[in-house]
Amino acid sequence: MFSETVDSTRNDLYVGLAATLITTLLGVVVGALAGYFKGVVSDVLLGVTQVFFVIPVLLLILLFARVFQALVFKGLGLTLIVLILAFFGWSGIAFIVRGETFKLKEMEFVQAARSLGAGSYRLLFRHIVPNILSPVIVISTLNIAGFILTEVVVSFLGFGDPNTSTWGLLLNEGFPFVRTAWWVSLFPGLAVVFCVLGFNLMGDGLSDALNPRLRE
Amino acid sequence: MTGYQTPSTRDSVNEWARRLPEKLLEVSNLRTYFFTEAGVVKALDGMSLEVNKGQAVGLVGESGSGKSVTAQSVLRIVPRPGRIVDGSIRFEGEELLAKSDDEMRKLRGPKMAIVFQDPTTSLNPVFTVERQLTDILTLHRDLTKEAASKRALSLLEHVGIQEPEKRLKTYPHELSGGMKQRIAIARALSCEPTLLFADEPTTNLDVTIQAQVLELLKQLQKELNMTMVMITHDMGIIADMTERVTVLYAGKVMEVADTSTLFKSPKHPYTEALLKAVPSVKQTRALEVIPGNIPNLIEPPSGCVFHPRCKFAKDICMKQEPPLEKVDERHYVACHLWRELKLEGRG
Repeated sequence: MFSETVDSTRNDLYVGLAATLITTLLGVVVGALAGYFKGVVSDVLLGVTQVFFVIPVLLLILLFARVFQALVFKGLGLTLIVLILAFFGWSGIAFIVRGETFKLKEMEFVQAARSLGAGSYRLLFRHIVPNILSPVIVISTLNIAGFILTEVVVSFLGFGDPNTSTWGLLLNEGFPFVRTAWWVSLFPGLAVVFCVLGFNLMGDGLSDALNPRLRE
Repeated sequence: MTGYQTPSTRDSVNEWARRLPEKLLEVSNLRTYFFTEAGVVKALDGMSLEVNKGQAVGLVGESGSGKSVTAQSVLRIVPRPGRIVDGSIRFEGEELLAKSDDEMRKLRGPKMAIVFQDPTTSLNPVFTVERQLTDILTLHRDLTKEAASKRALSLLEHVGIQEPEKRLKTYPHELSGGMKQRIAIARALSCEPTLLFADEPTTNLDVTIQAQVLELLKQLQKELNMTMVMITHDMGIIADMTERVTVLYAGKVMEVADTSTLFKSPKHPYTEALLKAVPSVKQTRALEVIPGNIPNLIEPPSGCVFHPRCKFAKDICMKQEPPLEKVDERHYVACHLWRELKLEGRG
């Protein structure tokens, strides 16, 4: 039981970290472009972001997971879950980055960099985006916990990869025997709780640590 | 600011006259409009400006007269919804308005630069001092990181920063306003621009720091043989720093003259009013203010834009826009009445 829970940690962390990495990159790029430029490209990007923001993600994840597992990417296993989570999970970051970019691009230091010859992409990715990184890092940290939780839900409902051991799968397998063998469900459950709590606290700590005004 | 001093007391004007004047910047009939929802704001409406190489020129006027927009237009960094709609900007003999964005980008930094009013917002808050300076250096010059850092260090020494090695690693919010402005100046000078705009560089600083920063700018201008356009509303700074002045009002040129001439015998009522609004130590009379505000630039007044606030205004002022007329070879004024008016100068 213990070894299975420990073994699942690796897989769950993989899901959380990999999905977060992809969503952060995607969200920052989409959000920054949508916030900085004006015109068709930015409108389209904003529209796409809004669509992804409002659709009922969990249902679609379940649907996608089931369909893709059955049909297309049979061998992909957990990576498929990561890709699906990432595909549906980037819009929050994109929104924040867009808003911040929108605000920052009018600031004088951007004008100053422009007055010294910086081009659009340099302004955007070297001058503006670094100013947004601290909220992005904090939110990404919280996202790790969120993705792990979603993965737990997906696996618990039996839509995950049945061949890779994750906390959700353990919960799923242990659930019918809760009355007789409570420990089978309890320990993976506790692992989820501590993991999510841990990342949340980490996000909190990072938000203080990344604030240059609190730095000595 | 160190009191009131007309440049005639110094020999800078004579020195300038000895040199062959070479036109560096020639702005003519420039119109920069802002297309807002409320209407078209005519921030610059037929503005002209001439700057000779090595000269320090003043651009003076109240807030909203179009001083900063002039600098932004020359650098072609007018923020949206502003647009240059007409006119010509010639720099080193080339038409800037005909250049592509990429060509303009390469001019900014090595050819022209600007120091902004508020160093608190003009420095990137998440960059160290070192990065503020090296970012531009690596952009325009093929410098390695080490070489750029070395240059950053020498720039800091140049602008009079104490303990420059230590300062390189600090963030803007750890520095005082004066120090920040010195760094902003160092940044603007990092690629040795031919033309520097100083957009009210001391407005947000303490009086004592103001004097230091102005002194620094003066010294750097001489040292680097740089051309400088000083944008300010402070006639004291104009007297102290510049050889020639353009007086702007509501996006139009009111008067152009050598600084000493302008102070001694202003020809435009607005110039006179600006001069009277400057306090001086000897002064016993009350400070005169200019009544009213700068006009609405969406629907500027008919005729002379200054007529609603001008105590000499006559019928013609309301009906006809005065052209920029020649007083003498080096003195121009846009006023219908300049021949009849007896205006008081100072100094």
